Amino acid sequence: MELFFMTLTTGIMVGGIYALVALGWVLIYKCSGVLNLAMGELTLFGAYVTLSFYTMGVPFVVSILCTLIIGIVLGILVERIFLDKLIGEPILAVIMVTVGLSFFFRGLIEFVWGTDTRVFTPAIFSLKPFTIGFLKISTVYFWSFVLAIVLFLVFVAFFKYTRWGLSMQATADDETAALSLGVSARFVYAASWAIAFMAAGVGGALLGNINGVNISIGYLGLLVLPAVVLGGLNSVPGAVVGGITIGVLQNFAGTYLDAFFPGGVKEIFPFAFMAIFLLFMPYGFWGWVKIERM
Amino acid sequence: MTRVWLPCGDYHEHYAKDHGWWQTNVIRGKMILLLLIVSVGFPLFFGGYWLGVANMIGYTALGALGVQLLIGYAGLITLGHAAFVAVGAYTSTLLVLRFPWPEAIVTWGLAYPISIIIAAIVAGLWSVLFGLPSAKVKGFYLILTTMAAQFITVDFILTQYVSRIGGRGQAFSLPPGTIKIGPWFIDSDLKVYFLMITLLTLTVLVMANLLRTRVGRAWVAIRDNDIAAETLGINIVWYKLLNFFVAGFIGGIAGAFWVSNCAALSPEHFPWSWSLWLVGVILIGGAGIDGAIFGSIFMVMVMEILQIIAIPLSEYWPIVFVNFAYVKDMAFGLAICAFLIYEPRGLSYRWWQVKNYFNLWPFSY
Repeated sequence: MELFFMTLTTGIMVGGIYALVALGWVLIYKCSGVLNLAMGELTLFGAYVTLSFYTMGVPFVVSILCTLIIGIVLGILVERIFLDKLIGEPILAVIMVTVGLSFFFRGLIEFVWGTDTRVFTPAIFSLKPFTIGFLKISTVYFWSFVLAIVLFLVFVAFFKYTRWGLSMQATADDETAALSLGVSARFVYAASWAIAFMAAGVGGALLGNINGVNISIGYLGLLVLPAVVLGGLNSVPGAVVGGITIGVLQNFAGTYLDAFFPGGVKEIFPFAFMAIFLLFMPYGFWGWVKIERM
Repeated sequence: MTRVWLPCGDYHEHYAKDHGWWQTNVIRGKMILLLLIVSVGFPLFFGGYWLGVANMIGYTALGALGVQLLIGYAGLITLGHAAFVAVGAYTSTLLVLRFPWPEAIVTWGLAYPISIIIAAIVAGLWSVLFGLPSAKVKGFYLILTTMAAQFITVDFILTQYVSRIGGRGQAFSLPPGTIKIGPWFIDSDLKVYFLMITLLTLTVLVMANLLRTRVGRAWVAIRDNDIAAETLGINIVWYKLLNFFVAGFIGGIAGAFWVSNCAALSPEHFPWSWSLWLVGVILIGGAGIDGAIFGSIFMVMVMEILQIIAIPLSEYWPIVFVNFAYVKDMAFGLAICAFLIYEPRGLSYRWWQVKNYFNLWPFSY
């Protein structure tokens, strides 16, 4: 039973990070309709940039802030250079541009930083777990979760209470209406990419604290895809629930299924789950069902 | 369908001729010349290294043809085709290395040819399994399913289980002389090249003819508008699954061919990036079978040229050469983006334009 709860808490904590990255993904999809497959590389990028700042001696929180700023700049650049020109193109073209970007970023990252696993030295969070009741929680997981939740709340507040956030919501809801009310769609697209880069960057930095930074962080970033499918592609609460569920499922699979399928069942389970889930509920829990007519 | 116009002054007098494959004798002559060039001329004049490059092009083209069938002809977007290539490669390897073939078959050198066919069928069925969700979903959701196919097949089943068959580590080694077709051992680039040309020609012939039948037209109808296709009486689930089967079949052939070209087989030959690479190839190549082949030639040649440039550069800037694989990734990513933004119809469109220009010359109206 203790194992069960430990797995559950770890799952929820990691899931919080996935939820943060998934939020960025859903945002891009809602605002500009781009299905972004480069999320893994964005996560990776965030992890490496934070690591570089941290290794240069910048405090962790400041280096995360720096990552955020670089994320904003890169997001706007990427949107302006590549995706701006593809508005209204077929879905495959837009997806493949993000795939091209993911190749580019992956190549760039491996070119600049190499493929060895690097760790945050000195460790930011103490290695000693602390206990709540009978639960032992690793400090890294706990603080990552807290930071993810805080950022998440900041994003939500941004959407609810600021002018920019509201204009983004309006565009996501009905682009034509938003345009006629004087919202700049170009600005909103750029902002959504900037925020996605930020979310992915912070998510990557947090994930990098758990197991060290290497190329597999990009794979963890891809886990947002099962998460957003579970919640529905265009639902912000869905992204949160999906992210946490995927985190929990993944850890349960690692704990309980590993005995039956030795090897990488933990890594593969979210995708297997997603494939089966799509057979039964293709639009997720809160996604809009697309009704097609001729 | 006819995208290339006939030369000035050439007219069809019968419908049969209009539907003919090679519509004029000039085209027939050109195609036979092309076959002669690739099967005799190229190996005569180019040495070992370029034969290896040509084999790479052929392998890419075989894989890309399957992707072209799915994306270009049925609108089923796949990002997991490497999984089916891998299934083909592993089935073929396991059959050749482990299956207790009767003595006669081994002496006659039939084991590998039979294994190619079985591998193709197994890969096709595996592809159908992951094509099943296409009955219900399409577009982005189908992409996710095919991605799942990639991760489940290559990163899990092949890496964790199939690679351990026989108690070995990660790779099956294929010493020269293992692969034998009839009296010939496939042990040099030249022989691999001939095998590649045979398989590629056969695949292109079968695919081009299949696309001219009821099946091919049904696929195109589904691609253009699946609801309209359904109202026309096309069983779209059946045809989509058939498309997955044929695409997987071609992927299996590609995989089984790759076995003859490499000394050891491991799951690292079929990463997710290889699936993406195949899709990128057809995006760069453009529509049609020729698109897949142009794309393969273009991508492999660009990579070769980059390598040729990188070798002298490495004297001044050694990191470029050490990390060449990453430079390749970056170039590929940028190439996809650039083509999608500036040349969305791909290379084959330009090729048709050039052909049309010369066909209509000097009266371009």
